[in-house]
Amino acid sequence: MEIEVSGKVNVSKNRHQAEVSKQTGFPSAATHYMEASIDLNEELSIHKDATFYVRVKGDTWKGFSILDKDVLIIDRSLQPNFNDLALVVQDGGFKILRIPFDKAQEAFVLWGVITYIIHCVR
Amino acid sequence: MIAMVDCNSFYASCEQVFRPDLWGKPVVVLSNNDGCIIAANKEAKQLAHIPMFEAVYKIKHILIENKVTFFSSNYTLYGEMSQRVMNILETFSPSVEVYSIDEAFLDVKGLSHIDMCAYGFEIKERIYKYTGLPVGVGVAPTKVLAKLANRMAKKIPKYNHVYVMDTDAKRIEALQWAEVGDIWGIGKKHVQRLQAIGVFKAIDFVNLPLAWVRKEMTVVGERLWKELRGESCLEFMAVPNPKKAIGTAKSFGQKLPDLGRIEEACAYYITEVAEVLRAQKSCATYIHVAVYTNYHSTIDKQYKNRMTVTMPIPTNDTFALIAEARKALHCIYKPGYRYKKVAVNLTGLIPEHYVQGNLFEKRSKISDSNLMHTLDVLNRKFGKTTVSSAMIGTRVEEWELIKRERSPRYTTQWRELLTIDVKRG
Repeated sequence: MEIEVSGKVNVSKNRHQAEVSKQTGFPSAATHYMEASIDLNEELSIHKDATFYVRVKGDTWKGFSILDKDVLIIDRSLQPNFNDLALVVQDGGFKILRIPFDKAQEAFVLWGVITYIIHCVR
Repeated sequence: MIAMVDCNSFYASCEQVFRPDLWGKPVVVLSNNDGCIIAANKEAKQLAHIPMFEAVYKIKHILIENKVTFFSSNYTLYGEMSQRVMNILETFSPSVEVYSIDEAFLDVKGLSHIDMCAYGFEIKERIYKYTGLPVGVGVAPTKVLAKLANRMAKKIPKYNHVYVMDTDAKRIEALQWAEVGDIWGIGKKHVQRLQAIGVFKAIDFVNLPLAWVRKEMTVVGERLWKELRGESCLEFMAVPNPKKAIGTAKSFGQKLPDLGRIEEACAYYITEVAEVLRAQKSCATYIHVAVYTNYHSTIDKQYKNRMTVTMPIPTNDTFALIAEARKALHCIYKPGYRYKKVAVNLTGLIPEHYVQGNLFEKRSKISDSNLMHTLDVLNRKFGKTTVSSAMIGTRVEEWELIKRERSPRYTTQWRELLTIDVKRG
């Protein structure tokens, strides 16, 4: 069976470019106002080499507004401050707590500082 | 100066980052197909009666008795964690040579004004903080010495995983400390040969006459000899050389007697290696295909054979490669055996744009390479073999490797994230 190349598929450009005039011949009014669209990685300052995502099971931490099935964004590069939420290791297990004023008081190993909680509402 | 950074028990450490219940406990990682131990952490190595590199089924009871946790290899996780480490290293030096999945050389010759020891500790601490992985750092004037400094950093407790060999006195001290077998690049055979003539320490090796080294150990030995004397001979390669051959030879999850599934596995491996081939923009001239039965087995009849095919025109087209590999496989396959492995290897690699055409070539090269490009884009976006040759079939799980104890792919799969709950502690 011979397969003929029947035509070229025109790949659409990634984004509509507002400055290019279309059929109307009238340039878009947005021409000089175009900006890059919002990038969550940028906005949430995701430091990708130090960021880990962790899923929570159960309602143990609902006191911190962390609910069942939520995903925590954890940035290990951050220095913990007083009152930050953090994922820590205590007695060989993970735990979530608020960083106390006096860090020496409680024995734990910091795993990473929690920066955001992703909560799906659907 | 050159810094050598390597991760301690890398595979086991990657597993432990996500398993605090295993911190300070023995952990080993098994090879493909769970065949043998390929990595062990410090705690597991201390259990001296565990024979490393022994077949797992023979030593499983010893592992269990000693409460050693074992994992199937999770290369997806190790690869991603490695990428993080290398990215962090690039914040320390613009010139990083990734030497292996867990080792890199950093060119730090422009940093003569700073305290190298403090710099080494900063590397170690930042990588640990960001990724949870422990590393060691060795700094020295040449690559071979940096590798040695790294070894000292690891083996001598007072250095605490960072050692800087910044004076000639320290270099001599290091050479007096190291055995010849500790030198990077001196293999077992040469060690025996050197010991036979009374060379035991690195310093003895360096004191040998150059003529002897050149004669007995070729130019490779000569380079090591010079590097150990502080004369840099090994090139710093921030950009890796393209591979000269690409192959894969993974055992099946079970022994396969029929040609059909072996064909499918073969096509699958070709698909994998052709992707690598295209990523480095090369074409292959030869395909080697080999089949093996399990030589460990005492109940099976043994057979192995191999064949090399020359491509009419060097190519990186998956379909063309599969078609040729299949012909070769048909030639070497003999019924009546239970096969353990099929291996494919592409060699004679040349850059894509140097490929010589052929007067009688009918197919349109452009449309084929567009097709391959589209395939690669789709598979990168939607996952491995989302679109592929029908030759790979649908029975992958019937011959695929066994990875019984593989940990979740914590960092690449949204569905396999680390999960925490109170019950697990």
